[in-house]
This record gives sequence, structure tokens and C-alpha cells, in this order.
Amino acid sequence: MESHADLVARLEEWVERGRALVGAGAELELYAQEHRGLTVRVFRGEVESLRYAHSRGVGVRVLREGRLGYAYCTGFDWRDCSRAVEEAAANARFSAPDEHNLLPSQVDRTPGDLGIYHPEVEETASRDKVDLALRLEKLTISLDPRVKRVETAVYADGVSVVAVANSLGVSGSYRSSDCHCYVFPIAEDGEESQTGFSFDQGVRPSDLDLERVAREAAERALCLLGSRSMPSRRTTVVLDNMVAAEFMGMLAAALSAEAVLKGRSFLAGKRGEQVASSLVTVVDDGLLPGGPSTAPFDDEGVPSRRKELIRDGVLTGYLHNMYTASRSGTQSTGNATRSSFRERPGVGATNLFLCEGKGAREELVRGVDDGVLILQVVGAHAGANPVSGEISLGALGLRIKNGEPEQPLREITLAGKALEFLRQTVAVGEDLRFLPFEGSLGAPTVVVEGVMVSGRG
Amino acid sequence: MSLLDRDTAARVIRTALSRGGEFAELFAERRSGYNLRLEEGKVEENTSGWETGAGIRVICGESVAYAYTNDLSLASLEETARAAAAAAKAGRSAVVGLEKPLRLLPRREDHPVRLDIDEFPRERKVELLHRADQAAREAGSRIVQVVVVLGDARQEVFIANSLGEAVTDLRMRVRMVVQAVAAHEGEIQTGHESPGILGGYELFQEFPPEEVGRAAALQALTMLEARPAPSGPMAVVIANGTGGVLFHEACGHGLEADAVYKKASVFAGRLGEKVASPLVNAFDDATLVNRWGSFAYDDEGVRAGRTPLIREGVLVGYINDRKRAMRDGTEPTGNGRRQSYRHVPIPRMSNTYIEAGRERGEDIIADTELGLYARKLGGGEVNPVTGDFIFAVTEGYMIRGGKVAEPVKGATLIGNGPRVLLDIDAVGSDLDFDTGMCGKEGQAVPVCTGQPTLRVRELVVGGTTEVV
Repeated sequence: MESHADLVARLEEWVERGRALVGAGAELELYAQEHRGLTVRVFRGEVESLRYAHSRGVGVRVLREGRLGYAYCTGFDWRDCSRAVEEAAANARFSAPDEHNLLPSQVDRTPGDLGIYHPEVEETASRDKVDLALRLEKLTISLDPRVKRVETAVYADGVSVVAVANSLGVSGSYRSSDCHCYVFPIAEDGEESQTGFSFDQGVRPSDLDLERVAREAAERALCLLGSRSMPSRRTTVVLDNMVAAEFMGMLAAALSAEAVLKGRSFLAGKRGEQVASSLVTVVDDGLLPGGPSTAPFDDEGVPSRRKELIRDGVLTGYLHNMYTASRSGTQSTGNATRSSFRERPGVGATNLFLCEGKGAREELVRGVDDGVLILQVVGAHAGANPVSGEISLGALGLRIKNGEPEQPLREITLAGKALEFLRQTVAVGEDLRFLPFEGSLGAPTVVVEGVMVSGRG
Repeated sequence: MSLLDRDTAARVIRTALSRGGEFAELFAERRSGYNLRLEEGKVEENTSGWETGAGIRVICGESVAYAYTNDLSLASLEETARAAAAAAKAGRSAVVGLEKPLRLLPRREDHPVRLDIDEFPRERKVELLHRADQAAREAGSRIVQVVVVLGDARQEVFIANSLGEAVTDLRMRVRMVVQAVAAHEGEIQTGHESPGILGGYELFQEFPPEEVGRAAALQALTMLEARPAPSGPMAVVIANGTGGVLFHEACGHGLEADAVYKKASVFAGRLGEKVASPLVNAFDDATLVNRWGSFAYDDEGVRAGRTPLIREGVLVGYINDRKRAMRDGTEPTGNGRRQSYRHVPIPRMSNTYIEAGRERGEDIIADTELGLYARKLGGGEVNPVTGDFIFAVTEGYMIRGGKVAEPVKGATLIGNGPRVLLDIDAVGSDLDFDTGMCGKEGQAVPVCTGQPTLRVRELVVGGTTEVV
């Protein structure tokens, strides 16, 4: 794999050659990404699949009089790249002009060590990575006779190099590594079966705590055995930290200035307002040491930083890239994101999380006389709408009576409005945890009062 | 120009099997695409791209090794093949059908293209978005936002395997998605429409962009008038078209042979058993001409097929890929699909639907005293092991005294796939389809879901109020 310093040098050269192609009056940005990764999936003590990935590509943004065109290619040479530059310039002709389409200009940054790369990922043999996945599966089924099998156990890692260069003088690059593992065990008792889940993540294989993952995943499946529905009622819910982190996805989408500007956010126009209980503080930190979405700069080259979005319940700001910042008359917060070189930058969270309060999950549950501990939600994509703020989700969990989790529950739904959930938050725990999927979202356990839980019986 | 020549392919496949394995395959593709996105009345995204790549797979027992690259040079393909080979366990070896040159299967033209995406000018593509946007905005003053996305793609594939077969195929697809947002007095609602085709720009002859935009807008405007949905068990009539997503998610995934093999399916081991009401007949059919989820050959070079899944309530079939067919000693059904050269093929649905019955859709509603009419379903999620599901009703109405009454919002359907199939007590004659991108194991592939109007005797509706 090319070193990131070489890659950025090459991009700088292509930017120079590209300027000649697009002519005067046009600005140009190149974004290159190279990735090597391995994913091991095991099943019943055998490797179910082993996947080596090697992908690379270049995305080109051309701006002319505020008109934006984009093109990408997988060739890593000037022949392919020059075609992409020409294609992006042609696309720009058919786009609407918008004065807020801007590229960042030269910026100072102090990268420092962000703890996002460790050579161990590249130095560890594939065979040892396969063993990690096999061990995770074996550990999971060894804990309880009712957990006889796992649906899937996975180890995955990758090393990426990213470089950005534009015609206004911005250029930079970085290298990162990541690895994670997860397991979905199935617990069975008679006719009933329940699925559990747990994961761990880090920048190198030795960061992963397989024992903890196996134990937690098995427990999460086992505790749901014997579940049934419950009669509909308004009650107190305790959101497990993984569930609360899933809800942060809805908040992240609504905090995007892009969504706000386009009327697609239930938080639009609420800056400075008390939108949540004073226990709620939400931060997005692009420089969080070792964080899954940590990088020295965002996907258009603006330096990353930490910012508070909700402080003590008051909405203090939104997530911005260059475009939304210009439209809103503010500065980019370093939140330009793209899922790959195939996409122009949008707005997205980096490491976005609900700050810790006080108390372990057990203590929070103990404080609830009558309620529901939610361990899994289903339908988070469809049922948690960041546009309207409506929440309607299927859930699995445990009935809480006198501070003790008791009867397992299935076929129940949670319904309400996100703002109600935020305002009716009565406790925030101290067990902050990040979910590595779809960005990097984190939350501790959260207790919310007066939530409509529906079921049958 | 062909992507790869057959001699190169044969050589790479031999390398892939050099350390053992029962089957090896090379999948190469060249893809180009164009995407436009309009919001706030302006084309704000205008992206084209092209990529080439190849993936090499070795199957060894239940294990699959897969490696891919963007570089189609012989040296790079050989290196990639060696990476895939390294995962195979020595000892098991394939019966390789490569003594003779690869046999090229005939190119099929099952899905004719009338308006090729590369011959349809950029200006006219841009115009389609504006037409949809304008029609949506004209539907009512409460429409505050319209997003129109138009995407087209051309995918050329070359697939060769150790059985000695090679296949080439060309898939062209076009799809438009319109989202309309309506707002009034702090209330916000959305509406969606998404016509798509395995074909070209003739799509808009059947679905003029004005009608697509207007339909999305009307849905959003209607839901603005909606009352909060009730909660509790009740009869649910699911409208034709988008309702098919429920069968796709809650049952279809459980009929995929990999889920069956892993017993991560409530339908595992139940072939020949009654799993649904006798009114239910269901199919997966990739041969439907020009349907969004169709193809001529699947992504393993197997001819597209029509697979009966449920016949008069009895489970009669699963859908598989080559690996499961090989391992289970059955014939491939032509459902081995992948998102791209970067992905391993796995059993996937194509166009999955419940077949039309005899009753008229309106008669089913007329026959329902009190219940919910789910006109449009949004996304949902299913636990494959238990079959428990949840779906959002994006356009819903109460049924009162056999008539469609007031719209209701925020409703979800919660239940269990197999139980719902058994509880279907009416099936209409008005089969219709909707397009979608189905996600599984991180791969999205185009699919159609379909169903006629049907009624489930009782389902739990998750809402926020009591039934009145």
C-alpha cells in the first residue's frame, strides 16, 4: 500500500494538472482513499467466510461559478483521473448555481498523535485473526447449555489511507487502523429462541476483550428466554446503553445542519432552546483519542474538533460542513463526511455521544419501582424518524418491579416523540459505550419517564 | 470489448484452486452510473462514476474465501487468486472442468431496453427531476420540501467458474425516488414514491415524473390530517403494492437457503408443511420482464428462474445459491446475487410476491367492520430466528363499518411472520409491485416486493392512543 505522504504528493500533482483541464475560474478537489481489510466469519467451528479487500479510488469535485459537479473512478493513474476531472466539469454545467458551494482554503492544523493507527493489524497473520473469531464463537457457546449455537461470529479489521488536496492549497493525509469483533448467540429453551449480541472494537487485535464479548452476548440472549408481551401502558423505561446509542443515530441525523436547512429535522429552529432535560449534554468530538471516527481533518480537509451540541439540555449548535456553514453564516465544525470516494461530502457526526451522568445501570434500574428495561429495539431505521421526531419501535427487554428486572418481554413497542424522550429523561448513567456501526455513536444507560409501551395481553 | 478473455479467466481459476477447494469462480465487472439529486428545486448533486473490479472465490466445504481488486491486469488477478487460495484447506480438491476452453453460455436478451441510458441526454435527465418536483409542489401549499433522486447504472459482468462455464451479461437499471415533506402548524409528514426498472428511460412512459411527484405529495398531505394511531390488536388490511415488503422481510428472508441451513429461520425443516393460510401462494421470480429485481443470469452465472415458495399454504421451496445447492444436493434456483465485485454472492430474493387471489380489494375493506388499512408500509425489521417483526405504516387509515375512514399516523405493525401468514383470511386480485433495495450482510441489491390487497385477522398495532 502506498504511504499516505506519497499519496498526498501525487494528489497535489494531479490538482495542478487538473487546473489546466478545467481552466480558469474553476476550483478543484481530489479525494483519494485506499483500503485493505480482512473479515472473518465463523460458524460451527469452521471458517464460514474469509474476505480480503483491496479497494482504491479517487473522487473529484469541480466548482465553477457555484455549480458543483462530481465524478469518481477506481483507476489510480492520471489517465482515469483526468477523465474523472473532465466528467465532473461536465456535470457541473448541469447543476444549479449556489454561492455556498465552497472549498476550504489553506488551514493550519496540529495533528498530534490521535491514536488511530497501530501496525499490529498489518503485522498479525491472517491465521491468528481466524483464531480470534473461532475463539469468540467457542467462548460464547461454552457459557451456558442453553446457548448451543451462534448465528454468526465475526472478526474484522482494516487499514485505510486517506488524502485530500484542493486548488486552494489544502492538502493532507492520514492512516488509520481499526478492528472489531461481534457475536450473535442464540439461546434456546424448548420451542423458544432468543438472539443476543455484543461486540468490542479497537485499533489493534489485542484491544479486543473476547471473554467480555462472549459473556455479555450470551447473557443478553439468555435473559430474554420466557418472554411474553405485556398490556399497553405509559411507564418508565430504562434504555440500555447500546439501545440509547442507537437513539443517538436519530439525534445525529437531526443535528446535521443540512437536515436543519432543508426542513428535515425535528430540531430545526430550536437553537438556544431547552430541548432536553438538564441532564442531557451531547458532544461530537472528531479528535476523541482512538475513537472509531477520529481523524485529523474531515472529508473535505477541514481540521477536526470537539464541540458541544446540547449543553445541560439547551441546544447550542449543529453539525456543519463548508456548505452548510456558509449558508448559516458560521464556520465549518469539521463535520464533512462521505462514505467513500464515490460520494461528495455531506454532513455527519464523527464520534457523537451523550455525556455520562452518575450511576451504574443496576443503580438506575433500582431507582425504578415499575417500568421496563429495554435491551433491544427493532426497526430503528424506519421507526425513529429524525424528520418528524416520531419514535415507534419494536422492543425486547425486561419488566422492572420494585427496582428489580423480572419478566422478559417481547412483542412490545415504544412510541412517542424524540423531544418527549429528551425532556422526560430523569437519569443518565456512567457506562458510556460506543457502537461501531454506521459511524461512531455513544451513550450511557438512560432513564425516561412516561413512555407509551404497547403490547397485547 | 469483453472485460476479460476466457484464457485469462481459466488461468486465474486454476491458480485459485492451486491449494485445494471444490469450486472457484471469477466475477469481473465494469460499471458506470449517473446520479442526480434535486432538493429545494435545485439540482445539487450531479455525479458520474465508473469502476472496474474482479472478485475471486474459492469454496471449500462450508468455507468461502473471497478476494477482490480494482486492477484487472493478469498479474493483479493472479495475486488476488493466490490470496483466495491461501484460505483453502489442503486435501480437498475440486473436479475441475477446465481441460477444455471455457464454454461461453449464450447471451440472453430477456429484458429489452428501449431508451438506453447512455443515449438519453444529460439535459433530459435533469428535466425529469424538475417535472417531478414541480408536480409535487403544485399538489398543495403545505408541501415544504421535495427531494427527487434519479439514478441510472450500466453493469457489464463476466463470470467464469471451475465447472468450465463462462457467462456475460449486461444489466441496465433506472430508478427515481421522490420524497415529499408536508408541514402545517408544527406537524411534519413525509410521502414517498420510487418507480424503477431493469431497463432504460422508457420507465417514465409508464410512470410520468409528474404522477410520481404528485403521488408522494398527496401521501404527505393526507398524513398531515392524520390522528395519532390507536394501539392494540385489530384486523389489518394491507394494500397491494408496498405491503409486499412485509412478506419479503417477515417470510422471504426465512426462505433463503443460508438462513435455513443455519436454522436462523422459522421455516427451517418445514418443507411440505402447512405454513400459511390456504389462500396464500407465493413466488420468487427473476424472470418477470423488466422488473426492477429481475435479471437474465444471476451473479453466479445461473439462469434466472421462477421459484414457487408457498402453494396453497404449504411450504414448497427455498431459494439458494450455488454453494447451498452444492452442499444441500439440490439444483441452484438462480438466486446467487451480490452487490458488486466487492461482495460474496449469497442467496437473495429477486421479485418476491404473494400471488393474486379472487376477491376485489374494495370488497375486502367492505367486509371489515373495524380495523386498520395500511395503505403504505415503510421499512421494518425482523428477527429471523423468531420471525417477530415490526413495520412502520407510513400511510394508514382506520376502517370503520367497512369503509376507509380517518387517516392515522405513527402506527406500527408488530407480529410474527409465520403467525401472520396463517392469519391471512382474504386475498385480493389486485397484485402490484414496489421497488426496493434489500440489505443483507452489508450488501444492497435491487428487489421488487409484491402482493395483492390482503387482510390479517388480527395484528398488534403499536400506536399512541386507545382505540375509539
